[in-house]
Amino acid sequence: MSEQLLKITDLCAGVAEKQILKNLSLTVNEGEVHAIMGPNGAGKSTLSNVLTGKFGYEITGGTIEFKGKNLLELKPEERAGEGIFLCMQYPVEISGVSVNNFLKHAVNAVRKYRGEKELDAAEFLKLLKSEAKKLNIAPEMLKRELNVGFSGGEKKRLETLQMSLLQPSLAILDEADSGLDIDALKMVAEGVNSLRNQHNSLLIITHHINLLDYINPDFVHIYADGRIIKSGGKELAEIVEKNGYGEFLQAVE
Amino acid sequence: MDFFVKNLWGEDIPSLAGLRDKGKISFAEQGFPTIKTEAWKYSYFQPEDLGILQADVSEHICGEDCHCHEKQDLPFDAYRLKICNGNVSGHHFDFPEGILVKSLAEAIYDGDVKNYLNKSFDMNLFPFAALNTAYLEQGLFVCVERGFCADKPIYLNYHNHAEKNIFCNIRNIFVVESDANIVLIEDFNSEKDGQYFCNTVNEIYIGRNAHFRHYKKQNESAKAHHIALNCVNVKQNGTYTSFCHQNECIFARNETYVKLLEEGAEAKVDAVYKLQNNGHSDITTNIRHLAEHTVSNQLVKGVLSGNSKGVFQGQIHIAPDAQKTQGYQLHQALLLSDDAVVDCKPELEIFADDVKCSHGATSGDLDKNQLFYMQSRGIPYDEAKQILIDAYLNEVYSHIADDEIRQWIQKK
Ligand SMILES: Nc1ncnc2c1ncn2[C@@H]1O[C@H](COP(=O)(O)OP(=O)(O)OP(=O)(O)O)[C@@H](O)[C@H]1O
Ligand SMILES: [Mg+2]
Repeated sequence: MSEQLLKITDLCAGVAEKQILKNLSLTVNEGEVHAIMGPNGAGKSTLSNVLTGKFGYEITGGTIEFKGKNLLELKPEERAGEGIFLCMQYPVEISGVSVNNFLKHAVNAVRKYRGEKELDAAEFLKLLKSEAKKLNIAPEMLKRELNVGFSGGEKKRLETLQMSLLQPSLAILDEADSGLDIDALKMVAEGVNSLRNQHNSLLIITHHINLLDYINPDFVHIYADGRIIKSGGKELAEIVEKNGYGEFLQAVE
Repeated sequence: MDFFVKNLWGEDIPSLAGLRDKGKISFAEQGFPTIKTEAWKYSYFQPEDLGILQADVSEHICGEDCHCHEKQDLPFDAYRLKICNGNVSGHHFDFPEGILVKSLAEAIYDGDVKNYLNKSFDMNLFPFAALNTAYLEQGLFVCVERGFCADKPIYLNYHNHAEKNIFCNIRNIFVVESDANIVLIEDFNSEKDGQYFCNTVNEIYIGRNAHFRHYKKQNESAKAHHIALNCVNVKQNGTYTSFCHQNECIFARNETYVKLLEEGAEAKVDAVYKLQNNGHSDITTNIRHLAEHTVSNQLVKGVLSGNSKGVFQGQIHIAPDAQKTQGYQLHQALLLSDDAVVDCKPELEIFADDVKCSHGATSGDLDKNQLFYMQSRGIPYDEAKQILIDAYLNEVYSHIADDEIRQWIQKK
């Protein structure tokens, strides 16, 4: 049996004025791919933010274990070092910082955390070039300011590039597929698939089955009002695609 | 009203003695500026608290064997000049024909400065320039002759290593004749954490089609009090390009007063200040567009933490005849602590109607979402912060055309 990677138990979290996650439990083992589907506002992005340690959320109950460690005690950068990576729904623009420079800082910070040797400029450039090529990212794009003026699809592609450079053991994709044309979608899926092995795991948040057609999930969870209301295989995604969330929500009521 | 006692050189030269007397009278009338002095209201200068009145003007001329004469390493080639503990030191023989360099005293004696000395400002508007005039003695006269383009910059090192609390009163005159070209680097630095008061006035005369690039790096003792006034006259199609870099010290003010006298004259006045503890940085500018088709651009950025205070006062004056002029100004401050403050006073005085003129000011903290984004990619918080600060400042640094000088200024 494969080892347990992430174990969320009875997690309650929210913002000052509102509880969003309500006794959420989820276990992800090494090598597994989990998909989460759920209506707008259900709290899917909140879950990914809490997992990465974003500011502004209050954890009011429950635990998160990652590789046997108490994840909630770690800083965001330590979580990244441990292997958590979030492909953000809305990547942040940073003017004045080139993609190149940013990626070099990120790659070396993570390598340092993992006890690996930092890359010098030449080594890094070589790695960057080959990974960018796989995702069809033009070298000119890497010289631009981080995400500034990037189209929605370009931003998602850059998120995927970061994911392949940082080699996470748990990649969380928060609507990585939204706003992508079909070629870009394939590219992102390929990027994700190339990361897959018996140790790395994926948590995929999506509204559409298309991405799941490329990345075959082991489990699909239906998520509503801050927790998982039903778990199963890919057939659940097919129901959502056809009929929406209605029958799942009714079953709960 | 003698604050500082010293036997000054040249008391027997009547014109010089007379000028000093005028300085004394003007300063006595104005006094040290107080909170009620409009031009100084944010940079209230407290000479008693700062210990300035104890400053001593005795001769701190270094002996031949002083370690400070050792040639320091610079990442660029330059013609070197040195002012040590407030006194012009050493010789300056390695200048090419085309650049005339003398001590101010020599230049006064030789009659070189008749048209320049105290001709670029009205003492009664600048109390510290009046004080500077009262103690006129030390400084340099540099003249770049007509059409001469210097092959390397002039590096002027203001070095301070006195143990005692001293008063450095310096007046420099730079004349760049028509079609000439020069780069000046002023480096203010000190050893130990000496307490001293440095009061500098530069009078800069830029001729037709002449270009003057002026870089200043101030990296002094935290106890230094530094006041500098740059008065710049620019003639037809001449350009003045300046960059001032201030690091933490207890009181620093860099004031730039530019007169764009003739058509096509241009000024770029940029600055960066970085404060961490109790520092006070003041960047004051006054750009006077006095002719048609003149252009000015100012970009000033500060990074403040601790209890520090930043001040930006920027005036753009456009005279009635100065049509088709452009004047832009932007001040931004990054406040990294709750106790850091910034005071900003932009002032536009526009008397012509066909002009393009704008100013802006912002202040705020680093963007939390940007910081988190970087952290979530493994970059530690402090490193992420530094990347954002560098990015923010880089917009100003990138205006420095000379790569080696830029790198040198950026490095503390
Ligand atoms: N900082 C906040 N302040 C107030 N409400 C918030 C905050 N963050 C999230 N919420 C609310 O919590 C709920 C869950 O938001 P979340 O972004 O997690 O939903 P989601 O499942 O990702 O939705 P979508 O499918 O639209 O991306 C929403 O109702 C949202 O408005
Ligand atoms: Mg969402």
